[in-house]
Amino acid sequence: MNRTENNYRLAASDVVESRFAHTVTARLSERADTVAPEIGERLRFAREKAVEAGRLARQGAVYGLGVTAHGAAVAGFSRSRWWLRIASALPLAALVAGLAIIQESQTRSQISVAAEVDAALLGDDLPINAYRDAGFVEYLKAPPGE
Amino acid sequence: MATDKELSDFLKSVEKRAWKRAVYAVRDEDAALDIVQDAMIRLAEKYVDRPAAELPLLFQRIVSNATMDWFRRQKVRNQVVRNFSDFESAGAEGEFDILDTLEALGSTLESESAADSVSRAQILQVIDEAVAELPARQREAFLLRYWEELDVAETAASMGCSEGSVKTHCSRAVHALAKTLKAKGIAP
Repeated sequence: MNRTENNYRLAASDVVESRFAHTVTARLSERADTVAPEIGERLRFAREKAVEAGRLARQGAVYGLGVTAHGAAVAGFSRSRWWLRIASALPLAALVAGLAIIQESQTRSQISVAAEVDAALLGDDLPINAYRDAGFVEYLKAPPGE
Repeated sequence: MATDKELSDFLKSVEKRAWKRAVYAVRDEDAALDIVQDAMIRLAEKYVDRPAAELPLLFQRIVSNATMDWFRRQKVRNQVVRNFSDFESAGAEGEFDILDTLEALGSTLESESAADSVSRAQILQVIDEAVAELPARQREAFLLRYWEELDVAETAASMGCSEGSVKTHCSRAVHALAKTLKAKGIAP
């Protein structure tokens, strides 16, 4: 009996406290709604700045997901637009560097072949002018048995 | 993921209360503005991928953390600890009836015809000061629970304490407010 009565009192007390609290907070809201204009303006500015920051973060997150979906090794930086830009430029830089290396290698190879031919010609006992003689050229083309 | 409009609408709905909470805590309007701005940007940058329904609890927690960060920066931790100590009742809780106080407060505030706008503003000022005078933890629990309308579990999560502590803080805050308002003549 006493326990039931105590429970009832506690429940009633909770309801009364809650009603009182909501009455007080309603008055607080009433007062908070009438903040000074400069405060309201600064809050508006802060809100707009936050929304802009959220927009940038959202774009960064979407871009990061796209990159990781294609298997690029930038998973750890999916939220950093700065790192993403660097990561996305790496394949292009590697391609350009590869082409440059191939070009350099080809040039060196051609120079090397030309140098070997020149060295062979200059080092031979036969004078170079002999190759300008049409008869000698025919002699070279002819089979060894003739 | 919350859209720009959802984020903006949410921030607009809570910004004044958040600022007021910060003012209660740090007693400095400019510092409170910095705290709220910092909290808004943290929410937008770090939790923009969360659903809009999760924003209120996250924001309250960020505001609380930003407020604590402000205190740390100001190196007044000792003052915070002192303010965070539990409200010590004088043991006279049974000496007045909270229901009477509530009814008196309600009738005082709702009888607009009897009170002109100046006296109403004065009453709001008294209530504002009474809330500001509450110990910090009690005030935080009271405002989160009844002003931000978080439930007990959410309030506990936001404050980093148990649900029992929230109930205790809220109950003590209500009794302290009723007592203060009664003493200032708003209640009989």
